[in-house]
Amino acid sequence: MDQQLTPYTTEAERTAGVRIEPGKRYGFFTDTTVCIGCKACEVACKEWNQLPAEDMSLTGMSYDNTGALSATTWRHVAFIEQVRPAQDHDRDADVPGRWLMMSDVCKHCSNAPCLEACPTGAIFRTEFDTVVVQQDICNGCGYCVPACPFGVVAIDDCDGKAHKCTLCYDRLKGGLEPACAKVCPTDSIRFGELSELDAAARDRVEELKAQGVEEAYLYGAPDAPGATGGLGRLNAFFLLVDRPEVYNLPSAPTRPSQRIGAALGAGLVAFAGLAAAAVTLLAGTRNGGGR
Amino acid sequence: MKAVTVRTRGPADGRPSLPGRHGRYRGETYYGRPALKAAHWDWTVSSYIFLTGLAGAAQAIAAIGQALDRQRYRGLLRNARFLSSIGSAAGAGLLIADLKTPKRFYNMLRILRPTSPMSFGSYILGAFGGLSWLSALGELLPGRGRLARLVRRSADAVQVGAGIAGAGASTYTAALMASTSTPFWAAAPRWLGLQFATSAVASAAATLSLAERWGGRTDNSRRLDRLAALATAAHLLASLGARRQRRDKGLGETGDTPQGRRLEMGDLVIGGAVPLAAYALHRLTHERAPALSVVGSLAVIAGGFLLRHGTLNAGHESARRPRAYFRFAQPEHLPRDRSVIRLGPPR
Repeated sequence: MDQQLTPYTTEAERTAGVRIEPGKRYGFFTDTTVCIGCKACEVACKEWNQLPAEDMSLTGMSYDNTGALSATTWRHVAFIEQVRPAQDHDRDADVPGRWLMMSDVCKHCSNAPCLEACPTGAIFRTEFDTVVVQQDICNGCGYCVPACPFGVVAIDDCDGKAHKCTLCYDRLKGGLEPACAKVCPTDSIRFGELSELDAAARDRVEELKAQGVEEAYLYGAPDAPGATGGLGRLNAFFLLVDRPEVYNLPSAPTRPSQRIGAALGAGLVAFAGLAAAAVTLLAGTRNGGGR
Repeated sequence: MKAVTVRTRGPADGRPSLPGRHGRYRGETYYGRPALKAAHWDWTVSSYIFLTGLAGAAQAIAAIGQALDRQRYRGLLRNARFLSSIGSAAGAGLLIADLKTPKRFYNMLRILRPTSPMSFGSYILGAFGGLSWLSALGELLPGRGRLARLVRRSADAVQVGAGIAGAGASTYTAALMASTSTPFWAAAPRWLGLQFATSAVASAAATLSLAERWGGRTDNSRRLDRLAALATAAHLLASLGARRQRRDKGLGETGDTPQGRRLEMGDLVIGGAVPLAAYALHRLTHERAPALSVVGSLAVIAGGFLLRHGTLNAGHESARRPRAYFRFAQPEHLPRDRSVIRLGPPR
């Protein structure tokens, strides 16, 4: 690709060591074991994408006062407090429990259900293999919302359009890494080419296992939990240390469009069967219809 | 360096499963917060699904009637044509009203996407509505002139097409709901297709039967009652099958919520047991009480709407319950044949 090199088109090379070129596949690798829950990713995302604040009240359940991804929140840091019951840490007094933190985001699935569901073509796959909603086309039918197996995309009632993480499409076009990855102080969020991220993620799992973190595994990487049911791999994938449901993720999500054939086929067969029955029931010229 | 292998437990048929120590799902959630977002669909969508089901099946029944004995069924044909043209127009209106940016409704026809029932369904609805209006035109132009006869003949010619498009219009909505991540809709796609098709035929036959009885054509009404009873019986089986499969896939809890109970009450009782009893009683009393046929037909029609609306609301409830989704989204519920993960090159 003949691209004019300006200081901006090469910035990601300096900040993330990634050269951003159309036609390659990019994504996020989120290593939750080094997340410190600072929420800088949430702030950077809101700043760059000019997303308005939401409900400012406290959830009362944990330090997570964001709650969930929404039309105007495209990064969400989950706080999982696993405090052991009192009798347990009497015996094993060193740690009373643990905190798991995880910055959730749109997974930019390979076979993205939101994209497959979108009837207007507003949702498309970009030249960076990410999934983006075109705001000038979306008509707010909302079909992408129940299609998403991760509860990510949402309709904003203020403008009546669907919104979700764009993996900073505008920044990628300018050669900048996404805002959340750039701001992450512990490199828990890593942006890069998928092949490189995969290798780094595998190394990290091995490193953690060598350190005794036996439960570390990848979610959404090829052949891993999360990349199931025809979804293909998730371009934004995670390193987790507890089962996915603890992080509000499904173990084995599926690709909704695979169910079209079964529902439509069975319906048409039943319809044809009843039509054949109708031919017999409505036939006959005499009054009384065979009684 | 040796390659990392994640220890897995469970079926060794290539399905990815969790690292062994995580074991079976034991109801873990993230503070009980929803893991999915529910569709914003309300009564406009359930009414649309009900209406297109009824109108679509009415056109199919009318096409069969026209082919069998046009003279005998000309009243039925007329009713079905008006019903479907008004029904499809009202349905389109309901769908546009449901959009969050309704002024962009025409973007629905911007592309055709086979993976989206919302997309190909728009074309099915368009074809069904167009053919229904063409067929209704045949009823609107009286007289013996050349043009009037030509219009009537083309209306009869498009009737088969309207019936086929009607079959699509009344069943694609099952695919629309099943091909989402909302667990209550996704858990039993085949049964949902059977439910919607049988309910569409039953409610169309019941509506046309009422109209035939109103028009004094009791014998036609009797025949349509039989069709409605048969379709209702088939529907009851489909509903029981759907109920069972959903419970097998971890949605028993959703079935026991007020929304689930309301669906079962509306679908199995009002749309199933009541009309079957009324039709049977009507037959057994040698049709001396036409009110029984009317009650049966009205119950079938009400049940058709309650099925769609109840399924819609039970789906919303299942999306709000993280445990319902997590139990459904376990490796043992993955489709057997399509669980192989494709690792294609960049597209």
